[in-house]
Amino acid sequence: MPQGFGPAPTAPDGSPPERGGPPGLGLSLAHEASLQSRLIARDEQALVELVGFASPWLLGVALGMLSDRDEAEEVVHETFTIVWRRVDLFDQESGRLLPWLLRIARNRAIDRLRARRRRTLKLRRLEAYGAPGERVAPAIEPDESARPGWHVHDTVHQALGTLPQEQHAVVDLAYFQGLTQSEIAEQLGIPLGTVKTRLRLAFDKLRPRLAGIREWVL
Amino acid sequence: MTSHEWFIEQRQAFVIRALERDEEQAFHEHLSGCAECREATTALEHDLAWLPLGASPIAPRPGFNRSVVDAALGRRSAERRWFAPLALAASLLLALGSLWWARHTVSREAERFAIRQAELGSALASVQDTLSILRRAGTVRHANITMGEYQGGMVILADNQSHRWNVVVYGLPAPHDGQVCQFWFITDRGMVKGLAVPTSVGAATVLTLAMPPGNYQVKGAALTMEASASAAPAPQGKELAHLML
Repeated sequence: MPQGFGPAPTAPDGSPPERGGPPGLGLSLAHEASLQSRLIARDEQALVELVGFASPWLLGVALGMLSDRDEAEEVVHETFTIVWRRVDLFDQESGRLLPWLLRIARNRAIDRLRARRRRTLKLRRLEAYGAPGERVAPAIEPDESARPGWHVHDTVHQALGTLPQEQHAVVDLAYFQGLTQSEIAEQLGIPLGTVKTRLRLAFDKLRPRLAGIREWVL
Repeated sequence: MTSHEWFIEQRQAFVIRALERDEEQAFHEHLSGCAECREATTALEHDLAWLPLGASPIAPRPGFNRSVVDAALGRRSAERRWFAPLALAASLLLALGSLWWARHTVSREAERFAIRQAELGSALASVQDTLSILRRAGTVRHANITMGEYQGGMVILADNQSHRWNVVVYGLPAPHDGQVCQFWFITDRGMVKGLAVPTSVGAATVLTLAMPPGNYQVKGAALTMEASASAAPAPQGKELAHLML
């Protein structure tokens, strides 16, 4: 069976194949570590594998913030260029490879968002197209390119779904839309202190849930 | 504003980059001298490592991943080089088409030109997608099919990275009236209906297929001859071929 066409088999005793997580769909911890070593050794095939695996997720992160497919693709280009050039500087002890990629992509998207003053346009767009928070946790079916990692995506959505609507909305605007606390206050027409409180309460709830899956594999 | 309490309160906002630029700068400066905040923000970053996956994934456009790899490696896209002649031919076609359409009214010309351009763009993307799978096929399976006097077959080329297949069905006659040549996925939970495959002795049919939606383990594929009116979720007709991956 081709790798990645469905859930990876569990161990004969039914236990998950990786520590603490559900069955890996595409990239085991060992594979992730191997990928990093091969990237450091300038193995181009490792880059091909990483791009094939991670680009749908990076595109999703960037497009969610920039609302511009071309620009989101540029962010993904930049992210992998940075990874290819700096992977030898990545300290495995300080984190995992894929979260590092996601962080780079998100930061690049935020930098673009702010440097180009897109936030003004975004605020107008948000005003025009409905209440914030509605785009978090869209109920869409995974497509074939998105299957690896879908169990993590689903778990994150479940965690977000437990938040009260008002906290859900500020997390959406702050984390997935890239707005600052002040911009959120302006957008929602609520005091800055309320935004800070809602964010704090939301992340107090999210953090333990997400910490529980930090060792999961995609 | 800049007491240690403020930095403690703003750790989460800093990690998710929800601070204003001047606040963010102040936080960076504070971190350089505060081990406690450095440790706390690092721990928070680790705990939120998978939060970006709350964003829905977006399927890359055909050829995009190749262009990403080429860009990272600092070279021109191989696919773009490969497709340059095709793009040139398409441009020539468009130019010739434009001349022909010039005899018509401007508005009608513009409308038809746009349609033609879209068709060519779609055809190019389709060819690019098919070739991409063909070039990266990690698994190839073939089955011979005999239908009366006709000898044909089915080939599956599976791209193990994108989880997409090229399926080629060749040498088979068109089905009789009221019948259809049906493609099926063989999965861990039984047969899942795919596309009806048009067949013709004189031309191979090439399909580019994604895996069926749902959490299936796809183990192979089959081809059957079904009644065209059948809406059965499982094969009822004669099996022509099956392939296990």
